[in-house]
Amino acid sequence: MMTKKILLSFPQKAAGQPMAMELIKTYHLDFNILKAFIDDNIKGTLLLEIKGEEADIEAGIVYLRQHQIGVRDIESVVEVDPDKCVSCGACTAVCAVGALEMTADWSLVHHDDKCLECMLCVKACPMRAIHALI
Amino acid sequence: MAKSYQEINEKIARGEAVVVTAEEVIGIVKERGVKEAADYVDVVTTATFGPMCSSGAFLNFGHSDPPIRMGEISLNGVSAYGGLAAVDTYLGATQPSTDKGIEYGGAHVISDLIAGKEVHLVAKSQGTDCYPRTELDTWVTLEDLNEAYLFNPRNVYQNYNAAINGSSHRLYTYMGILQPNMGNITYSTAGELSPLLNDPLLKTIGMGTRIFFGGAQGYVSWMGTQFNTACPRDEKGYPQTPGATLALIGNMKEMNSKYIRGAVYEGYGTSMFVGVGIPIPILNEEIMAFVAVENKDLYTNVIDYSVPKKAKPVLKKVSYAELRSGSVDINGKNIKTSPLSSLKMAREIAEELNNWIKKGEFFLQEPIQSFPMGNSLKGLEIKEGESR
Repeated sequence: MMTKKILLSFPQKAAGQPMAMELIKTYHLDFNILKAFIDDNIKGTLLLEIKGEEADIEAGIVYLRQHQIGVRDIESVVEVDPDKCVSCGACTAVCAVGALEMTADWSLVHHDDKCLECMLCVKACPMRAIHALI
Repeated sequence: MAKSYQEINEKIARGEAVVVTAEEVIGIVKERGVKEAADYVDVVTTATFGPMCSSGAFLNFGHSDPPIRMGEISLNGVSAYGGLAAVDTYLGATQPSTDKGIEYGGAHVISDLIAGKEVHLVAKSQGTDCYPRTELDTWVTLEDLNEAYLFNPRNVYQNYNAAINGSSHRLYTYMGILQPNMGNITYSTAGELSPLLNDPLLKTIGMGTRIFFGGAQGYVSWMGTQFNTACPRDEKGYPQTPGATLALIGNMKEMNSKYIRGAVYEGYGTSMFVGVGIPIPILNEEIMAFVAVENKDLYTNVIDYSVPKKAKPVLKKVSYAELRSGSVDINGKNIKTSPLSSLKMAREIAEELNNWIKKGEFFLQEPIQSFPMGNSLKGLEIKEGESR
């Protein structure tokens, strides 16, 4: 058994199809919906933590992709742009779980596996170097 | 043995000057003692890279044909001052844009100009006999401008408060996001690397001091606004609250957008990260002793920013070593501390200035006038009555 986080993006035409049922029934995957979002153009975004046998997870991802659903492995829904980041530390002030912290030489480090998706760092970053994937 | 500016500059010209950063010098003084270290070291480089709101640029656009006396001026949607001569303006760093608000302000325009980007210039005027044009809409780059220089009225604070939030709701401040119920502490300093903390009594930094300014060679042009040399000090003379400030000037055309960056403080406004490096000549043992200061000996106050008054309560006096440790104990509660200015970039700037001096590209300028000590701050009294 393994667990991984994936970010699904549904184009307009894929919205409304019961993909989740398929993942459970055919591929025996457990999942936890961490974030879900549908924008004004009926494009959907879903952040899932899926649990299952490695082969089943891979087959499930192939299935999703065959149905025009974008699948991306991610650890965290926020990304730090290294070109914009100046390692000021303002984001670490609001990161309660230590996913963003300063190293011994005062560089910013992003432990993306610790992120709880509160997104407060996106607002706290004065360089606007942190953006949310959803 | 005392050294003069001229002697140090001659050593720089010969490539013989010993130049170290304000962090490196601490170990040298510990190892050799103040006297020997003062003989050995010629220049100590200090630096800081943090948000400095009181910043902006003077620009001259050159005359169009027919010419215009620019009244209302905007650059990428950010309003600039129209109260100077026909095609001169001052663009303030914190001015928000009309379309993007604080997400894109004067500081971003300045950084974009330095990066060589085209900027949208729109100007309006009443039209006069000598300046008949009433409207103008064009694109300009930094290269197109006659003059473009930063003139920042208040930069490089000598010391600054640390911030905490004693209320039950989240605060959005220029000290970053402060979590409720004393959830975190923020501070903004380069500490033992900070320019004015290494020269607490302004023995070497004054009007005319040549500096690293946004990647260019700039100058200290005046005392900064809210210049407070009458601040409380420790027995050695180091300020324990916000103290001296500097007004800085430098040519934008020689700057690097890496060191001048637009910044956004959520719920507060636009600001500008400014990179400044100041060399301190080791003229004598007294100056050597000052630059050997360590974070454990530099103090500031943790202030409750939730009190909406000018005088905010001080919760604790703390050293920068404590703030840098990652947490501070307040009333038995361990509270996380986070920096707001980039020590990493400050170190890079101190190194860069160090290289300029070692390569003989940067020489020390003795101040043409020292700044006053004992200068205190005035507040603004709100006076009643419609006419006086």
